[in-house]
Amino acid sequence: MSVPTTAAPGAPVVDLDLADLRHDPYPAYAELRRTAPLAWVPSVGRHLLTRYDDIVHAEKLPEVFSSREEGSLLLRTVGPNLLREDDPEHRRLRAAAEPPTRPRQVRDQWAGAFERTAHELLDRIAGRGEADLIADFAEPLAAANLALVLGLRNAGADDVAAWSRAMMDGNSNYADDPDLWLRAESATRAIEEAVAEAAAIVRREPDGSVISSMVHAAEPVSLAEIQNNVKVIIGGGVNEPRDVFGVGAWALLRRPDVLDRVLGDPGSWKRVFEETARWVSPIGMYPRQLTRDHEIAGVTLPAGSRVALVIASGNRDESVFERPDEFDVDRPHRPHLAFGGGPHFCMGAWVARHEVSALAWPLVFGRLKGLRPADSPQDRLEGWVFRGLTSLNVTWHTA
Amino acid sequence: MPIVIFELPDGTQRKVSAAPGTVLMQAAVSNGVEGIVAECGGNASCATCHVYVDDRHTARVGPPNDVEDEMLDFTAAERRPTSRLSCQIGLSDELDGLIVHVPEEQV
Ligand code: FES
Repeated sequence: MSVPTTAAPGAPVVDLDLADLRHDPYPAYAELRRTAPLAWVPSVGRHLLTRYDDIVHAEKLPEVFSSREEGSLLLRTVGPNLLREDDPEHRRLRAAAEPPTRPRQVRDQWAGAFERTAHELLDRIAGRGEADLIADFAEPLAAANLALVLGLRNAGADDVAAWSRAMMDGNSNYADDPDLWLRAESATRAIEEAVAEAAAIVRREPDGSVISSMVHAAEPVSLAEIQNNVKVIIGGGVNEPRDVFGVGAWALLRRPDVLDRVLGDPGSWKRVFEETARWVSPIGMYPRQLTRDHEIAGVTLPAGSRVALVIASGNRDESVFERPDEFDVDRPHRPHLAFGGGPHFCMGAWVARHEVSALAWPLVFGRLKGLRPADSPQDRLEGWVFRGLTSLNVTWHTA
Repeated sequence: MPIVIFELPDGTQRKVSAAPGTVLMQAAVSNGVEGIVAECGGNASCATCHVYVDDRHTARVGPPNDVEDEMLDFTAAERRPTSRLSCQIGLSDELDGLIVHVPEEQV
């Protein structure tokens, strides 16, 4: 099947500037939802699907909106992996990898270590009175927790965070920069080695980690498959909890009245988490490719068409969420799309929920008294495929 | 074809007929029954297709499986002895007339 690299007949063509999207994609998305809910965007080389209902429809039809995408940058960066497979291949790999990320495992097996790591990171900065909560706390916490759940005892949080960044850069290397490819390749080679070593150990002594679970899966999984899937999990597994943490903390620091209420009702951190993920989805879109002709949003897409499901836009759809651009932890609950839907529903959802809403936010706001934003111009929300804060500089009282 | 009844939190009932061999969650979603979110599409990983089986029908439906039992600890609405994930309830003619109650919250 050849991949059409132009608009489907009848699809509106909308020029969007990638730099504008990176800075703030939401105005463009609002316009697309209103005037062209399925639009071919030449700079992205895909059709963008931007309305909530259409995205949900596509997610529920994985046999039409396939995850197997030809020429995918992710495939080039990490090799074949479960994110770019459909069932039954996807199901075999997912079933092998998933048990350690289920919520009871998170609570019973990982939560204690997550909490210790969070305290250690806070111990390091508590006396300073100022920090960048992304670089000094959220990123190392997410990376350390990820290494633990994956079973990479031979890798430090710094390694995991650096690998993740190198692969993410490769993954969005639309400009084909050879330096970025080289860095991504050296990261993936390092991961392959670390996984091979860990797999050999857990083959003898299972330890409940993702690698261990894959090594001992009922339906066999090869070492190369374990390596590639660990790569893909590292690629996404650091930025999502890091970015939800950062964006939610940033939003609350700017709304002291809301923050006070949340601090008085610890049960409400869960709502803060879901609202943050809705308001700024850390993963803003993902690609699909049509297996056959299919009509959606008034356009018949031919087989092979490339589509981006823009979940960041669906999460701001005014037909579903009132005043969608506002961060409102009290809004009537409607399910957001930030974790994706269908068989690819985010495998890290329960890990992230626990790590951010049960631990990271309550500990940071509980321990760092008088926490305030430093209003640094470097603290910017950035990105559209992946969106988060570049940094979050804060101060607090040390006396 | 079994007919199943979803009772919504406001007391209204939605009667839907389901193709045998499908699961209760699909019957809800394909008929647009409000309150069955089913984010993960039936893979027992999201806990957003939670239902309470009507007291009179629990024996017919049976207990949750292991994975489901774990997920049921993390539903948005409280877990009760009659809680099930609707994606894990296979429909057959024996379940004709089944009544389930949709909880207030799924996420
Ligand atoms: S649909 Fe996700 S658990 Fe049933």
